[in-house]
Amino acid sequence: MTIKEKLKQILVEDLNLEDITPEEINDEDPLFGEGLGLDSLDAVELVVLVQKHFGVEIKDMEQGRPALQSVNTLAAFIEQNQA
Amino acid sequence: MTATGTTVYVAGIGCVGGFGAGIDAFRAALKQGCCSPTPLLQQHPDGQPFVPAYLAQTDKLSDFVPKRALRRLDHYARLALLGGYLALADAGLSAQDCEDLGVIIASGYGATGTTFGFLDSILNDGDSCASPTSFSTSVHNVAAAYLSMQMQALGPNLTVSCFEQSMTAALHNALCWLQSGRVRRVLVGGVDEHNPVVNYCYGRFFGTQTAAVLSPFSEQHSALPGEGAAFLLLTTERPGLSPVRLTDVASGSGVPTMAAPTDVVLAGADGHGATAPFYRRLSGETPALRSCTPCYGSLPTGQAFDLAAATLMLRDRCCYGLCAAPQTNEAGSCPAPQRISVVKYSGDGSYGHVRLQLEEGSRHA
Repeated sequence: MTIKEKLKQILVEDLNLEDITPEEINDEDPLFGEGLGLDSLDAVELVVLVQKHFGVEIKDMEQGRPALQSVNTLAAFIEQNQA
Repeated sequence: MTATGTTVYVAGIGCVGGFGAGIDAFRAALKQGCCSPTPLLQQHPDGQPFVPAYLAQTDKLSDFVPKRALRRLDHYARLALLGGYLALADAGLSAQDCEDLGVIIASGYGATGTTFGFLDSILNDGDSCASPTSFSTSVHNVAAAYLSMQMQALGPNLTVSCFEQSMTAALHNALCWLQSGRVRRVLVGGVDEHNPVVNYCYGRFFGTQTAAVLSPFSEQHSALPGEGAAFLLLTTERPGLSPVRLTDVASGSGVPTMAAPTDVVLAGADGHGATAPFYRRLSGETPALRSCTPCYGSLPTGQAFDLAAATLMLRDRCCYGLCAAPQTNEAGSCPAPQRISVVKYSGDGSYGHVRLQLEEGSRHA
Protein backbone atom coordinates (compact mmCIF):
# COMPACT_ATOMS: atom_id res chain seq x y z
CA MET A 1 0.00 0.00 0.00
CA THR A 2 1.36 3.44 -0.96
CA ILE A 3 1.60 6.34 1.49
CA LYS A 4 -1.32 8.05 -0.23
CA GLU A 5 -3.50 4.95 -0.06
CA LYS A 6 -2.61 4.49 3.60
CA LEU A 7 -3.41 8.15 4.32
CA LYS A 8 -6.82 7.87 2.68
CA GLN A 9 -7.57 4.76 4.70
CA ILE A 10 -6.55 6.55 7.91
CA LEU A 11 -8.70 9.57 7.03
CA VAL A 12 -11.80 7.42 6.55
CA GLU A 13 -11.29 4.86 9.33
CA ASP A 14 -9.60 6.83 12.09
CA LEU A 15 -11.55 10.05 11.56
CA ASN A 16 -14.75 8.01 11.07
CA LEU A 17 -15.77 9.62 7.77
CA GLU A 18 -18.71 7.25 7.32
CA ASP A 19 -20.09 9.10 4.28
CA ILE A 20 -17.04 8.63 2.02
CA THR A 21 -14.72 5.79 0.94
CA PRO A 22 -10.91 6.01 0.55
CA GLU A 23 -11.30 5.57 -3.21
CA GLU A 24 -13.52 8.66 -3.40
CA ILE A 25 -10.83 10.96 -1.97
CA ASN A 26 -8.83 12.77 -4.67
CA ASP A 27 -5.15 13.44 -4.06
CA GLU A 28 -5.66 17.19 -4.55
CA ASP A 29 -8.88 17.57 -2.47
CA PRO A 30 -8.43 20.17 0.30
CA LEU A 31 -8.58 18.37 3.65
CA PHE A 32 -10.29 21.27 5.43
CA GLY A 33 -13.22 23.52 4.61
CA GLU A 34 -14.80 22.95 1.20
CA GLY A 35 -12.94 19.69 0.51
CA LEU A 36 -13.25 16.84 2.99
CA GLY A 37 -14.72 19.20 5.56
CA LEU A 38 -12.28 18.42 8.36
CA ASP A 39 -11.92 20.86 11.27
CA SER A 40 -9.32 21.97 13.79
CA LEU A 41 -9.82 18.95 16.09
CA ASP A 42 -9.24 16.71 13.06
CA ALA A 43 -5.98 18.58 12.41
CA VAL A 44 -4.75 17.71 15.91
CA GLU A 45 -5.89 14.12 15.43
CA LEU A 46 -4.09 13.92 12.07
CA VAL A 47 -0.83 15.11 13.61
CA VAL A 48 -1.09 12.25 16.14
CA LEU A 49 -2.08 9.71 13.47
CA VAL A 50 0.85 10.64 11.20
CA GLN A 51 3.26 10.15 14.10
CA LYS A 52 1.61 6.86 15.10
CA HIS A 53 1.42 5.29 11.62
CA PHE A 54 4.48 6.77 9.88
CA GLY A 55 6.76 7.77 12.76
CA VAL A 56 6.88 11.33 11.41
CA GLU A 57 6.38 14.27 13.76
CA ILE A 58 4.70 17.50 12.64
CA LYS A 59 6.32 19.82 15.13
CA ASP A 60 4.52 23.13 14.74
CA MET A 61 2.11 25.24 12.68
CA GLU A 62 4.92 26.28 10.35
CA GLN A 63 5.34 22.66 9.29
CA GLY A 64 1.73 21.67 9.70
CA ARG A 65 0.00 24.35 7.64
CA PRO A 66 1.59 23.48 4.27
CA ALA A 67 1.67 19.73 5.00
CA LEU A 68 -2.01 19.45 5.88
CA GLN A 69 -3.39 20.93 2.66
CA SER A 70 -4.20 17.69 0.81
CA VAL A 71 -3.30 14.01 0.58
CA ASN A 72 -0.60 14.98 -1.92
CA THR A 73 1.09 17.53 0.37
CA LEU A 74 0.86 15.31 3.42
CA ALA A 75 2.30 12.31 1.57
CA ALA A 76 5.16 14.46 0.31
CA PHE A 77 5.87 15.71 3.84
CA ILE A 78 5.93 12.15 5.17
CA GLU A 79 8.26 10.98 2.39
CA GLN A 80 10.68 13.86 3.07
CA ASN A 81 10.79 13.28 6.80
CA GLN A 82 10.72 9.50 7.13
CA ALA A 83 13.99 8.16 8.49
CA MET B 1 -38.49 11.03 49.76
CA THR B 2 -39.09 13.63 47.11
CA ALA B 3 -42.86 13.90 46.90
CA THR B 4 -43.68 16.02 43.93
CA GLY B 5 -45.31 19.23 45.17
CA THR B 6 -45.47 20.46 41.60
CA THR B 7 -47.30 18.07 39.31
CA VAL B 8 -44.78 16.41 37.02
CA TYR B 9 -45.76 14.36 33.98
CA VAL B 10 -43.94 11.86 31.81
CA ALA B 11 -44.56 13.44 28.41
CA GLY B 12 -42.39 11.07 26.40
CA ILE B 13 -40.31 7.93 26.62
CA GLY B 14 -37.50 6.73 24.38
CA CYS B 15 -35.49 3.58 24.63
CA VAL B 16 -32.95 1.48 22.77
CA GLY B 17 -31.62 -1.86 23.90
CA GLY B 18 -31.25 -5.52 23.00
CA PHE B 19 -34.93 -5.52 22.02
CA GLY B 20 -34.39 -2.87 19.31
CA ALA B 21 -35.02 0.86 19.19
CA GLY B 22 -38.23 2.70 20.02
CA ILE B 23 -41.44 2.11 21.90
CA ASP B 24 -42.91 -0.43 19.47
CA ALA B 25 -39.86 -2.69 19.72
CA PHE B 26 -39.84 -2.38 23.52
CA ARG B 27 -43.58 -3.08 23.78
CA ALA B 28 -43.18 -6.19 21.59
CA ALA B 29 -40.45 -7.51 23.91
CA LEU B 30 -42.52 -6.67 27.00
CA LYS B 31 -45.52 -8.56 25.62
CA GLN B 32 -43.30 -11.55 24.97
CA GLY B 33 -41.77 -11.25 28.44
CA CYS B 34 -38.20 -11.53 27.19
CA CYS B 35 -35.85 -11.17 24.25
CA SER B 36 -32.79 -13.17 23.30
CA PRO B 37 -29.26 -12.10 24.22
CA THR B 38 -26.71 -12.02 21.41
CA PRO B 39 -24.08 -14.77 21.65
CA LEU B 40 -20.59 -13.31 21.24
CA LEU B 41 -18.26 -15.81 19.64
CA GLN B 42 -15.02 -13.88 19.49
CA GLN B 43 -12.46 -13.86 22.26
CA HIS B 44 -11.48 -10.88 24.37
CA PRO B 45 -7.84 -9.91 23.66
CA ASP B 46 -6.84 -11.47 27.00
CA GLY B 47 -8.24 -14.82 25.83
CA GLN B 48 -11.41 -14.61 27.90
CA PRO B 49 -14.60 -15.42 25.97
CA PHE B 50 -17.32 -12.82 25.62
CA VAL B 51 -20.46 -13.68 27.52
CA PRO B 52 -23.86 -13.46 25.78
CA ALA B 53 -25.33 -9.98 26.16
CA TYR B 54 -28.36 -7.92 25.23
CA LEU B 55 -26.65 -5.61 22.73
CA ALA B 56 -28.13 -2.48 21.20
CA GLN B 57 -27.80 -1.05 17.68
CA THR B 58 -27.86 2.69 17.03
CA ASP B 59 -28.36 2.72 13.24
CA LYS B 60 -31.65 4.57 13.72
CA LEU B 61 -29.75 7.60 15.02
CA SER B 62 -29.11 8.73 11.44
CA ASP B 63 -32.87 9.46 11.24
CA PHE B 64 -32.25 12.33 13.67
CA VAL B 65 -28.63 13.46 13.21
CA PRO B 66 -26.48 13.65 10.03
CA LYS B 67 -23.83 10.94 9.94
CA ARG B 68 -21.01 13.49 9.76
CA ALA B 69 -22.13 14.99 13.08
CA LEU B 70 -21.93 11.56 14.71
CA ARG B 71 -18.41 10.65 13.70
CA ARG B 72 -16.72 11.58 16.99
CA LEU B 73 -19.35 9.89 19.14
CA ASP B 74 -18.61 6.53 20.70
CA HIS B 75 -21.22 3.83 21.22
CA TYR B 76 -22.08 5.09 24.70
CA ALA B 77 -22.84 8.62 23.50
CA ARG B 78 -24.77 7.28 20.48
CA LEU B 79 -26.98 5.22 22.78
CA ALA B 80 -27.70 8.35 24.81
CA LEU B 81 -28.42 10.48 21.77
CA LEU B 82 -30.79 7.93 20.24
CA GLY B 83 -32.67 7.36 23.51
CA GLY B 84 -33.03 11.12 24.00
CA TYR B 85 -34.25 11.81 20.47
CA LEU B 86 -36.77 8.96 20.68
CA ALA B 87 -38.18 10.43 23.92
CA LEU B 88 -38.51 13.84 22.29
CA ALA B 89 -40.25 12.30 19.29
CA ASP B 90 -42.63 10.38 21.56
CA ALA B 91 -43.58 13.68 23.22
CA GLY B 92 -44.21 15.24 19.80
CA LEU B 93 -41.25 17.60 20.18
CA SER B 94 -38.25 18.26 17.98
CA ALA B 95 -34.82 19.74 18.62
CA GLN B 96 -36.36 23.17 17.91
CA ASP B 97 -38.43 22.93 21.11
CA CYS B 98 -35.50 22.39 23.46
CA GLU B 99 -34.34 25.85 24.47
CA ASP B 100 -35.82 25.46 27.96
CA LEU B 101 -34.70 21.86 28.44
CA GLY B 102 -32.50 20.42 31.18
CA VAL B 103 -30.60 17.19 30.52
CA ILE B 104 -29.58 14.58 33.07
CA ILE B 105 -27.91 11.28 32.28
CA ALA B 106 -27.67 8.51 34.84
CA SER B 107 -24.96 5.95 34.26
CA GLY B 108 -23.43 3.21 36.34
CA TYR B 109 -20.50 2.49 34.04
CA GLY B 110 -20.10 5.78 32.12
CA ALA B 111 -17.88 5.81 29.04
CA THR B 112 -15.66 3.00 30.33
CA GLY B 113 -15.06 1.49 26.87
CA THR B 114 -13.59 4.72 25.51
CA THR B 115 -11.83 5.60 28.76
CA PHE B 116 -10.02 2.28 28.98
CA GLY B 117 -9.30 2.32 25.22
CA PHE B 118 -7.70 5.75 25.63
CA LEU B 119 -5.58 4.57 28.58
CA ASP B 120 -4.58 1.43 26.64
CA SER B 121 -3.45 3.60 23.71
CA ILE B 122 -1.13 5.56 26.04
CA LEU B 123 0.34 2.32 27.35
CA ASN B 124 0.74 0.86 23.84
CA ASP B 125 1.89 3.88 21.80
CA GLY B 126 3.02 6.47 24.35
CA ASP B 127 1.32 9.66 25.48
CA SER B 128 2.39 11.63 22.39
CA CYS B 129 0.20 9.33 20.27
CA ALA B 130 -2.87 9.53 22.52
CA SER B 131 -5.93 10.46 20.47
CA PRO B 132 -7.35 13.89 21.37
CA THR B 133 -10.76 12.75 20.13
CA SER B 134 -10.69 9.68 22.40
CA PHE B 135 -9.72 11.91 25.29
CA SER B 136 -12.60 14.29 24.67
CA THR B 137 -15.10 11.41 24.48
CA SER B 138 -13.75 9.64 27.56
CA VAL B 139 -14.78 12.38 29.98
CA HIS B 140 -17.74 11.58 32.18
CA ASN B 141 -20.25 14.15 30.96
CA VAL B 142 -19.67 13.65 27.24
CA ALA B 143 -23.00 11.98 26.42
CA ALA B 144 -25.08 14.57 28.24
CA ALA B 145 -23.05 17.36 26.65
CA TYR B 146 -23.60 15.97 23.14
CA LEU B 147 -27.31 15.68 23.85
CA SER B 148 -27.57 19.31 24.89
CA MET B 149 -25.43 20.51 21.97
CA GLN B 150 -27.34 18.54 19.34
CA MET B 151 -30.71 19.61 20.75
CA GLN B 152 -29.61 23.22 21.33
CA ALA B 153 -30.78 22.77 24.92
CA LEU B 154 -29.77 25.76 27.03
CA GLY B 155 -30.92 24.38 30.41
CA PRO B 156 -28.66 22.80 33.04
CA ASN B 157 -26.77 19.65 32.16
CA LEU B 158 -25.68 16.89 34.52
CA THR B 159 -24.38 13.33 34.64
CA VAL B 160 -25.10 11.30 37.77
CA SER B 161 -23.40 8.08 38.75
CA CYS B 162 -24.51 6.14 41.83
CA PHE B 163 -24.31 2.69 40.22
CA GLU B 164 -27.73 0.98 40.65
CA GLN B 165 -29.17 4.11 42.28
CA SER B 166 -28.11 6.41 39.46
CA MET B 167 -31.57 6.77 37.93
CA THR B 168 -33.26 7.52 41.23
CA ALA B 169 -30.59 10.13 42.00
CA ALA B 170 -31.09 11.66 38.56
CA LEU B 171 -34.84 11.89 39.16
CA HIS B 172 -34.29 13.63 42.52
CA ASN B 173 -32.31 16.27 40.61
CA ALA B 174 -34.82 16.52 37.79
CA LEU B 175 -37.66 17.15 40.23
CA CYS B 176 -35.66 19.86 41.97
CA TRP B 177 -35.15 21.67 38.67
CA LEU B 178 -38.83 21.40 37.73
CA GLN B 179 -40.17 22.33 41.17
CA SER B 180 -37.90 25.34 41.47
CA GLY B 181 -39.00 26.51 38.02
CA ARG B 182 -35.47 26.40 36.67
CA VAL B 183 -36.69 24.67 33.49
CA ARG B 184 -40.05 23.58 32.07
CA ARG B 185 -38.80 20.23 30.81
CA VAL B 186 -36.10 17.76 31.76
CA LEU B 187 -34.82 14.94 29.60
CA VAL B 188 -33.61 12.35 32.08
CA GLY B 189 -32.36 8.91 31.16
CA GLY B 190 -30.24 5.94 32.10
CA VAL B 191 -27.42 4.92 29.76
CA ASP B 192 -24.97 2.04 30.07
CA GLU B 193 -22.95 0.19 27.47
CA HIS B 194 -21.56 -3.33 27.36
CA ASN B 195 -17.89 -3.31 26.43
CA PRO B 196 -14.73 -5.40 26.95
CA VAL B 197 -14.22 -3.87 30.40
CA VAL B 198 -17.67 -4.90 31.60
CA ASN B 199 -17.24 -8.29 29.91
CA TYR B 200 -13.97 -8.78 31.79
CA CYS B 201 -15.67 -7.90 35.07
CA TYR B 202 -18.45 -10.41 34.43
CA GLY B 203 -15.89 -13.14 33.78
CA ARG B 204 -13.83 -12.14 36.80
CA PHE B 205 -16.72 -11.87 39.25
CA PHE B 206 -19.16 -14.47 38.01
CA GLY B 207 -17.11 -16.92 35.92
CA THR B 208 -17.58 -17.67 32.25
CA GLN B 209 -20.46 -20.11 32.76
CA THR B 210 -23.59 -18.12 31.97
CA ALA B 211 -27.28 -18.84 32.38
CA ALA B 212 -29.30 -19.57 29.23
CA VAL B 213 -31.98 -17.08 30.26
CA LEU B 214 -32.23 -14.28 32.77
CA SER B 215 -34.58 -15.44 35.54
CA PRO B 216 -35.42 -12.41 37.67
CA PHE B 217 -36.93 -14.22 40.65
CA SER B 218 -34.66 -17.26 40.71
CA GLU B 219 -32.38 -17.87 43.67
CA GLN B 220 -29.59 -18.82 41.24
CA HIS B 221 -27.33 -16.19 39.71
CA SER B 222 -28.64 -15.67 36.16
CA ALA B 223 -27.58 -12.13 35.28
CA LEU B 224 -26.87 -11.56 31.58
CA PRO B 225 -25.38 -8.16 30.76
CA GLY B 226 -27.44 -5.65 28.85
CA GLU B 227 -26.83 -2.24 27.36
CA GLY B 228 -28.87 0.64 26.07
CA ALA B 229 -30.56 3.87 26.97
CA ALA B 230 -34.00 4.68 28.34
CA PHE B 231 -35.19 8.27 28.66
CA LEU B 232 -38.16 10.07 30.16
CA LEU B 233 -39.15 13.55 29.10
CA LEU B 234 -40.49 15.14 32.28
CA THR B 235 -42.57 18.28 32.19
CA THR B 236 -44.89 20.35 34.34
CA GLU B 237 -47.29 20.73 31.40
CA ARG B 238 -50.12 18.20 31.24
CA PRO B 239 -49.99 15.96 28.15
CA GLY B 240 -53.29 15.54 26.29
CA LEU B 241 -53.74 11.79 26.23
CA SER B 242 -53.06 9.25 28.99
CA PRO B 243 -51.16 11.63 31.26
CA VAL B 244 -48.78 9.68 33.46
CA ARG B 245 -47.67 11.49 36.61
CA LEU B 246 -44.43 11.00 38.46
CA THR B 247 -45.76 11.13 42.02
CA ASP B 248 -42.91 9.95 44.28
CA VAL B 249 -39.18 9.44 44.23
CA ALA B 250 -37.62 7.89 47.32
CA SER B 251 -34.31 6.44 48.44
CA GLY B 252 -33.74 4.26 51.49
CA SER B 253 -32.86 0.79 52.67
CA GLY B 254 -34.91 -2.29 53.55
CA VAL B 255 -38.44 -2.60 52.20
CA PRO B 256 -39.80 0.63 50.65
CA THR B 257 -42.80 2.16 52.35
CA MET B 258 -45.60 2.18 49.83
CA ALA B 259 -47.24 5.31 51.25
CA ALA B 260 -50.07 5.25 48.72
CA PRO B 261 -51.72 2.17 47.19
CA THR B 262 -49.81 0.61 44.34
CA ASP B 263 -51.30 -1.84 41.84
CA VAL B 264 -48.04 -3.28 40.55
CA VAL B 265 -44.47 -3.23 41.80
CA LEU B 266 -41.96 -3.47 38.98
CA ALA B 267 -38.77 -4.97 40.40
CA GLY B 268 -35.34 -4.39 38.93
CA ALA B 269 -34.46 -8.00 39.78
CA ASP B 270 -31.84 -8.72 37.14
CA GLY B 271 -30.49 -12.10 38.20
CA HIS B 272 -27.70 -10.85 40.46
CA GLY B 273 -27.24 -13.00 43.54
CA ALA B 274 -26.29 -10.00 45.70
CA THR B 275 -29.65 -8.30 45.28
CA ALA B 276 -31.88 -11.39 44.96
CA PRO B 277 -32.61 -11.64 48.73
CA PHE B 278 -33.97 -8.08 48.79
CA TYR B 279 -36.34 -8.73 45.92
CA ARG B 280 -37.46 -11.97 47.58
CA ARG B 281 -38.33 -9.97 50.71
CA LEU B 282 -40.26 -7.56 48.51
CA SER B 283 -42.08 -10.51 46.99
CA GLY B 284 -43.40 -11.46 50.44
CA GLU B 285 -44.74 -7.94 50.97
CA THR B 286 -46.12 -7.31 47.51
CA PRO B 287 -48.32 -9.82 45.70
CA ALA B 288 -48.33 -7.97 42.37
CA LEU B 289 -44.56 -8.08 41.88
CA ARG B 290 -43.36 -8.17 38.27
CA SER B 291 -40.10 -7.76 36.39
CA CYS B 292 -39.17 -6.75 32.86
CA THR B 293 -35.43 -7.41 33.14
CA PRO B 294 -35.44 -10.37 30.67
CA CYS B 295 -36.36 -7.81 28.01
CA TYR B 296 -33.25 -5.64 28.43
CA GLY B 297 -30.72 -7.52 30.57
CA SER B 298 -28.68 -6.59 33.59
CA LEU B 299 -27.23 -3.09 33.76
CA PRO B 300 -26.88 -0.55 36.58
CA THR B 301 -29.43 1.83 35.08
CA GLY B 302 -32.02 -0.86 34.40
CA GLN B 303 -34.46 1.17 36.48
CA ALA B 304 -34.73 3.61 33.57
CA PHE B 305 -36.08 0.78 31.39
CA ASP B 306 -38.52 -0.20 34.14
CA LEU B 307 -39.79 3.38 34.26
CA ALA B 308 -40.29 3.34 30.49
CA ALA B 309 -42.07 -0.03 30.82
CA ALA B 310 -44.26 1.29 33.65
CA THR B 311 -45.23 4.32 31.55
CA LEU B 312 -46.21 2.00 28.69
CA MET B 313 -48.20 -0.24 31.03
CA LEU B 314 -50.15 2.76 32.33
CA ARG B 315 -50.72 4.16 28.85
CA ASP B 316 -51.74 0.77 27.44
CA ARG B 317 -53.85 -0.15 30.51
CA CYS B 318 -52.29 -3.58 30.83
CA CYS B 319 -49.51 -5.43 32.62
CA TYR B 320 -46.29 -6.49 30.96
CA GLY B 321 -43.30 -8.48 32.16
CA LEU B 322 -42.99 -11.59 34.26
CA CYS B 323 -44.88 -11.96 37.51
CA ALA B 324 -43.08 -13.30 40.58
CA ALA B 325 -45.98 -15.74 41.07
CA PRO B 326 -45.93 -18.02 37.95
CA GLN B 327 -49.63 -18.90 38.14
CA THR B 328 -50.54 -15.25 37.53
CA ASN B 329 -48.58 -14.87 34.30
CA GLU B 330 -51.54 -15.82 32.11
CA ALA B 331 -52.97 -13.11 29.89
CA GLY B 332 -55.69 -11.11 31.59
CA SER B 333 -54.65 -12.15 35.10
CA CYS B 334 -53.49 -8.63 35.95
CA PRO B 335 -56.10 -5.85 36.00
CA ALA B 336 -55.30 -2.56 34.28
CA PRO B 337 -52.92 -0.73 36.63
CA GLN B 338 -53.43 2.87 37.73
CA ARG B 339 -50.32 3.15 39.93
CA ILE B 340 -46.99 1.41 39.48
CA SER B 341 -44.00 1.42 41.80
CA VAL B 342 -40.55 0.83 40.32
CA VAL B 343 -37.96 -0.48 42.78
CA LYS B 344 -34.24 -0.97 42.20
CA TYR B 345 -31.95 -2.47 44.85
CA SER B 346 -28.20 -2.17 45.30
CA GLY B 347 -26.10 -4.98 46.71
CA ASP B 348 -25.98 -3.28 50.14
CA GLY B 349 -29.79 -3.28 50.43
CA SER B 350 -30.33 0.39 49.58
CA TYR B 351 -33.15 1.03 47.16
CA GLY B 352 -34.55 3.61 44.79
CA HIS B 353 -38.34 3.70 44.66
CA VAL B 354 -40.24 5.67 42.02
CA ARG B 355 -43.99 5.73 41.62
CA LEU B 356 -45.94 6.59 38.48
CA GLN B 357 -49.68 7.12 38.29
CA LEU B 358 -52.16 7.39 35.46
CA GLU B 359 -54.18 10.54 36.01
CA GLU B 360 -57.78 9.68 36.79
CA GLY B 361 -60.39 10.33 34.13
CA SER B 362 -57.78 10.37 31.37
CA ARG B 363 -58.63 9.20 27.88
CA HIS B 364 -56.95 6.21 26.27
CA ALA B 365 -54.20 7.15 23.77
